[in-house]
Amino acid sequence: MTPEQKRRNRTAGLVLFAVVAAIFAWVIFRGSDFLGGVAGLTGR
Amino acid sequence: MSSVTAGHVSPGHADHGHDDHHHATPTGWRRWLFATNHKDIGTMYLIFSFVMLLEGGTLALLLRTELFEPGLQFFRPELFNQFTTMHGLIMVFGAIMPAFVGFANWMVPLQIGASDMAFARMNNFSFWLLPVGGIMLTASFFVPGGATAAGWTLYAPLSLQMGPGMDLAIFTMHILGASSIMGAINIIVTILNMRAPGMTLMKMPLFCWTWLITAFLLIAVLPVLAAAITMLLTDRHFGTGFFNAAMGGDPVLYQHVFWFFGHPEVYIMILPAFGIVSAIVPAFARKKLFGYASMVYATASIAVLSFIVWAHHMFSTGMPVTAQLYFMYATMLISIPTGVKVFNWIATMWKGSMTFETPMLFAVGFIFVFTMGGFTGLILSVAPIDIQVHDTYYVVAHFHYVLVAGSLFALFAGTYYWLPKWTGYMYSEKLGKLHFWSSLISFNVTFFPMHFLGLAGMPRRYADYAAQFTTFHQIATIGAFWFGLSQLIFLYAVLRCYARKGEPAPAKPWEGAEGLEWTVPSPAPFHTFETPPEVK
Repeated sequence: MTPEQKRRNRTAGLVLFAVVAAIFAWVIFRGSDFLGGVAGLTGR
Repeated sequence: MSSVTAGHVSPGHADHGHDDHHHATPTGWRRWLFATNHKDIGTMYLIFSFVMLLEGGTLALLLRTELFEPGLQFFRPELFNQFTTMHGLIMVFGAIMPAFVGFANWMVPLQIGASDMAFARMNNFSFWLLPVGGIMLTASFFVPGGATAAGWTLYAPLSLQMGPGMDLAIFTMHILGASSIMGAINIIVTILNMRAPGMTLMKMPLFCWTWLITAFLLIAVLPVLAAAITMLLTDRHFGTGFFNAAMGGDPVLYQHVFWFFGHPEVYIMILPAFGIVSAIVPAFARKKLFGYASMVYATASIAVLSFIVWAHHMFSTGMPVTAQLYFMYATMLISIPTGVKVFNWIATMWKGSMTFETPMLFAVGFIFVFTMGGFTGLILSVAPIDIQVHDTYYVVAHFHYVLVAGSLFALFAGTYYWLPKWTGYMYSEKLGKLHFWSSLISFNVTFFPMHFLGLAGMPRRYADYAAQFTTFHQIATIGAFWFGLSQLIFLYAVLRCYARKGEPAPAKPWEGAEGLEWTVPSPAPFHTFETPPEVK
């Protein structure tokens, strides 16, 4: 593996980890409301 | 598909100038505990998943034993519910998912011409989280109150009321989920960054394509599961009320969040199976795969659609009619890309010079029986019918047709197909065929009657039942034991290869097979493609 390949791998890996963390946080703080609202649950 | 100009690189031919591998093959326990080689880690994933398959299978046979006759014979209903729940959790998170990751570890670098996975040490960590999770989940049987009995979906409010076994299940799913997320990141980065020169995305074998799309699905939905069960945990111990009606929360909300993960999860367990079958059918039909590009687009379409159909699992919760109609029609849409795949496999076989070695038998068996599971899925997508058969054995029959005759049969097909490459020895064709026919027949003996049990009103997850269901339950139990015993044939056939019994395998044992993996010797050397091959 070349150093350039390693650098690109690390960058891609960090971006994907950030996506995972963002989705996790979004579901807890906003997503429950969104998913409930889409399916017609009221009051949220 | 690709054609290869420069073949394999055998061990020791490494490009030492820019490579950080250790070129000696490690030995003893260190080889496995500190493994960073994708083949070793793939093997460990496959062994782990088979052990979990046996554990989950044993639980299934305990369930079927209790259900052989009406009334309670062997287990209290509480224990029966624990067996049901643990069977589901172990099979989904311990057997099927890790098995496909094992295949990805073994085959993705070999198929794209990479020397290893992108993050070799993280790969080791991903694997070793699995035994920790598996042991913890199994150990939960022995805590006060026993294991969780809320069903594999861990629905609130039941899951809010259970003992410490539930906490262990939540912690286990966090651990197994973290393992899968790391595995998915590794696969995405490997495929996107480490392909051999000339291996464009549209030249990749379909198995890599299906895994790339599956890995994106994992990245997108496992954090949703993690969030859902974290909210369960905080409801249980930290005074929140996300799913607690008494605190203004809503238990149905848990179902929405869970199934936003759960439905894509179904495709996570079947898309790599499509990839395996798409490798095997052309090899034994001795033709190019029909409609390669449409297969890629169909896989991507299935993945996208899987995000917008989650509430078809919840028609009976009392959602508005407009929502029911939307989820019903959206679900039906999935049959279009799935149909594209089935027709493409059939078109590949059409006028091919077909032979039916064991991998092909399992692949054709997969297409036939999985399609039956797909059709019952279509029937279940119709909201008025679903409300009738919700939580009955019809649903149990449907998802076992998809997950056993679908995912598991594809895993068997892939194992027989690539076993010569993994072990260097050919499996016994006689044992393989015996395994196939025994599994196919016993599978149908087990699960076909369950359609009728469900239509007649037999609810799932019940330890007891009315006397009129007895005959079909007895047939299913006999089939289940037959199916379970059939898997010992598989174990024996595989162990024979590892024990070096059988014909030594050539580099390319299958006449019609294509791909870089067949350019390296059998068994595949410890290090491969350290100098990337050229792909035309």
